Amino acid sequence: MDRIWPRRQNGNVVRLRRRKNATALIYRNLSKITTALLATGYLWMTLIPIPPLSQGVYIDENALQPAQVNTNWNWQDVHQADLYLHHLEGLRDKNATSEQRASFIRDEFAKLGLSAATQNYTFMTPSSNITGINAYAILNSPRTPGSEAIVISASWLSEVGKEPYNLRGIATVIALAGFLKNYSLWAKDIIFVIGDNYLDGIHAWLNAYHGTIPQNLDTDLLELTSGVIWNALNVDYSGHSFSHLGVFFEGLNGRLPNQDLINSLRLISHYTAGVPLVLYDHLELHDAPQNSLLTSAPEFMKRSPQLREFEHRARNVKRHVSYQARGRPSAPHGLFHRFRIDAITLYAIPADGPHGFFALGRIIESTLRTSNNLLERLHASFFFYILTTPATFMKIGTFLPSAVLVAVAMIFSGLGRWVEAGWVQESSSELQPQGKEDDGKAANATIATVATLQPTWRPRQRPVIPVITTICVTHCIGLLAFAMIDTSCFLQNQVVASWILLIALGLVPQALLTIIPSHPPETAPFSLLLQSFNLCLASTVISITSLLNFSLAATLAVTLGIPLICSHVFFRPSQTSTSHFNKPCQLAVHAAYWVLTWGWLLLPQEVEKAVWNWEVLGVWFAPFVCIVYAPLLMQAGLVGLSVMNEMLLG
Amino acid sequence: MDSTSLFPLLVSFRLLLACIPLHLISGLQHDHQLSSPLTSYSRLKEGLWLYSHNIDPYAGGVFRHSPLFLSIFSTLLPPLPIVWALSDIVGAWALLRIWRARQRVGKGSGGRAGGLVAAAFLLNPYLFLPSLALSASTFENTAVLLTLMFASEGKPSAALLALAFSTHLCISTLLLLLPVLMLLVTSPVSQLASPQEFRGDLRTTCKYAGQFVAYWLVLLGASSLMVGDVYCEQSYRASLTLPDLTPNPGLWWYFFTEMFDHFRPFFLMVFSVHLVIYILPICIKFQHDALYASFLLVGILGIFKAYLTLADPGLFLSMFALFPEVYPYLRHPIVTTLVHIHAALLLPLFHALWVTEGRGNANFYYAASLVMGVAGGMGVVDACYAGLRIAFGDVAEGERNNWAVVQE
Repeated sequence: MDRIWPRRQNGNVVRLRRRKNATALIYRNLSKITTALLATGYLWMTLIPIPPLSQGVYIDENALQPAQVNTNWNWQDVHQADLYLHHLEGLRDKNATSEQRASFIRDEFAKLGLSAATQNYTFMTPSSNITGINAYAILNSPRTPGSEAIVISASWLSEVGKEPYNLRGIATVIALAGFLKNYSLWAKDIIFVIGDNYLDGIHAWLNAYHGTIPQNLDTDLLELTSGVIWNALNVDYSGHSFSHLGVFFEGLNGRLPNQDLINSLRLISHYTAGVPLVLYDHLELHDAPQNSLLTSAPEFMKRSPQLREFEHRARNVKRHVSYQARGRPSAPHGLFHRFRIDAITLYAIPADGPHGFFALGRIIESTLRTSNNLLERLHASFFFYILTTPATFMKIGTFLPSAVLVAVAMIFSGLGRWVEAGWVQESSSELQPQGKEDDGKAANATIATVATLQPTWRPRQRPVIPVITTICVTHCIGLLAFAMIDTSCFLQNQVVASWILLIALGLVPQALLTIIPSHPPETAPFSLLLQSFNLCLASTVISITSLLNFSLAATLAVTLGIPLICSHVFFRPSQTSTSHFNKPCQLAVHAAYWVLTWGWLLLPQEVEKAVWNWEVLGVWFAPFVCIVYAPLLMQAGLVGLSVMNEMLLG
Repeated sequence: MDSTSLFPLLVSFRLLLACIPLHLISGLQHDHQLSSPLTSYSRLKEGLWLYSHNIDPYAGGVFRHSPLFLSIFSTLLPPLPIVWALSDIVGAWALLRIWRARQRVGKGSGGRAGGLVAAAFLLNPYLFLPSLALSASTFENTAVLLTLMFASEGKPSAALLALAFSTHLCISTLLLLLPVLMLLVTSPVSQLASPQEFRGDLRTTCKYAGQFVAYWLVLLGASSLMVGDVYCEQSYRASLTLPDLTPNPGLWWYFFTEMFDHFRPFFLMVFSVHLVIYILPICIKFQHDALYASFLLVGILGIFKAYLTLADPGLFLSMFALFPEVYPYLRHPIVTTLVHIHAALLLPLFHALWVTEGRGNANFYYAASLVMGVAGGMGVVDACYAGLRIAFGDVAEGERNNWAVVQE
């Protein structure tokens, strides 16, 4: 290291020069840095399921004391549950109306001596109206004034397994109501809710309970209320018997419950009832049937325990991402999350045995006792995690950086474009006038000759107003598209309407391109500035979503990362045939961007479901895709098109 | 589109928005980013109710607005959204007039740029949203802009009266006293490129200072006559003693929730004095351009003020429109903008994570408010740099290579 400090006053010069060199170094290697960041980010994402990144779960809240009580649920109570089940099966076989079902359940609750009531509700959605009747009952706490409450709920329908009716779940809840009433140790009110249909019943009940009735819900406030709900358990037992207990935990808009709740359930289920806990309906590794990806793999790979472990964890993570990214609740418990209630669904995975009402009742009883111990809301453990298996989880620090790295790569590349737009290279001789056109990326042939001359850089103006206007216009188009999708006439003629909308939206960038004023020769090209802003904006969206909803951010990082960073490269006509631009190749790139932006319109069920989720449950996914995701890609397509235009115009 | 058509268009848009009752807007009133305990609309209404029922509104520690609002809204007109819209329009008009005074362009001329200056105020979301939330910070900002407008146009009495009013609404505005006095005895025209020593008449300055104190005392006296002197305790001292720790995007509240009580007075003093420290250096360095000095001090207030709302950094950002000559010398405008966008998105999201969803905690929101502080700091530092750098001018191409940079 040659330290040159000839005179004292040159210290500043050295400092400035060092800073300048560092900046120049970063700028020179910008594409390498971006590539490295992108590669690291994507590699990290694929490595999320590996065991070393996970750690063992533990109980953080000392008050919980899970699996420390003797349970009293007994065969007598199982018999009661069987009787209720018999009645419920009768109702199902009679095709009983919502009203008959709800009044039966309310009467049963009332017979047990609880205060019980029903609630009628109607959701108005663009596609149809949904009506139903919920039944609920409140067991007032014998020990406290009832300022806090715990909810046990079950829906009439079940959507996870093959069996459509959650009869055993409901029977368990009613039998539990009769059983729990016999004990005086409850420090919180216990509310029993039987929701109609699958999700909308519980949603209507929760909105009425909290007095947040949206405009499209027609219902009265509840007759009976209790205190603040802290925890909720939702029971889904639709099969005949069960072998494992599955836990569903993803809530609305990607909120997760406090991890202590899941960990307590795991310990209780294991130690109190001897039932193994699994995630979702994914059986444990050694119990899982061989329908995995590895079946077609060579034998040595199939046998590799590491690969099988990786595959098992990857399945769990994939399921988690598919719920969380779409903001969809994985089961009715997810609706509670909107109201700051930590809730999970206990799903009895259908099997020929060995467990039934006896095990499930004990597990719920013990979990309630654990929740009953709480003196404050669950707050200690984790709210941001990925459960890779029931016993291992990832802390936020081990998965968040993967998406943020991609976002950083995007913002670096966006800032690089901004700098690039601010300068134009001028060769000092008249020999190379065309060297200017290549935006400082002179072709190899010209570099050789220019290198002998000293290239000079001249600042140029960057007109940002047309770019900002274009960005605003694309987002407004997204808003318009969403407003169109969210209408009844779109959903009724979905197939035709999707195609019309798809083609119309595909033409928008072309149309926009014709109104964009051509830039004066002395200013920065439109495409560079638009790409710069587009990348910065997308990066902001990804890094901010990453904490709220990591799955969504990771999905965005995957879908937006490379298409946005490389939008100017993909559309550029190949250097070899400079005279004509490569038609089929250009068309293919164009179509790829179009499909990536709006192709989801051709998945009618997904669209319908997302719109339903937005209309009824208030899931932000559908508007987010239309107003944020699609316009960002549309801007990238526009970058490509204007690059092409600028090349053609010379 | 020139100012003659853009300005009326924006004004009519703003008035229209005030007249339509939107469902979304009512939700904004309780937003912690947009109004603080000192400016909140619901507290104002409560104060007015108490006042009309002959209960001392300042007794309960809920109402901390100036008695001026009590007198205006209980006698002259009710607190309707249209008043906030009008205040916004007056603010935009004042900003336009300051711009004209600085650029030395007459009324009606100025063309497109004038319209953009008004748009920079009326379409700035940091100002627009607090105004929709009916936060009193709208009136504070308008008062500050009126002060600067009168000072730029060389109307000392009006400027000092406006300054007395804005100090009365928010004591932190006292920071602007020195640059406003300097502005009154010099000119608002940009001197950034050719710095000179301060040549104002000191005697006149002192006279103006006396005039300001007189106005201020009259306002104080009038307020005390109206509600007794409790209000000083409740509204003036609140900025200094921070009795209400409701979260806001500023840097004070979290610090003082974590503070042990016996350190409180000391750190309150440190935080308050810290604000005052900036006055002299900025006024000395920018003695040739007092308007720029007041702009920088508005920026400082937008970071470090007690009970900050988004309207405070918003005023600073909108005032950037007055100084187009420094734009080429800003070092990292896009980075500052990006940090601002991050902060503006993070604040409501982290607020929701903490307060609504319950999966975050106060640290999340404070982290977001630190990002806001960084964004504000980057803006002020960059503005300061550009304001000094402009004096060096552009370097000729050939000269640049053999130029030894000796700064400091």
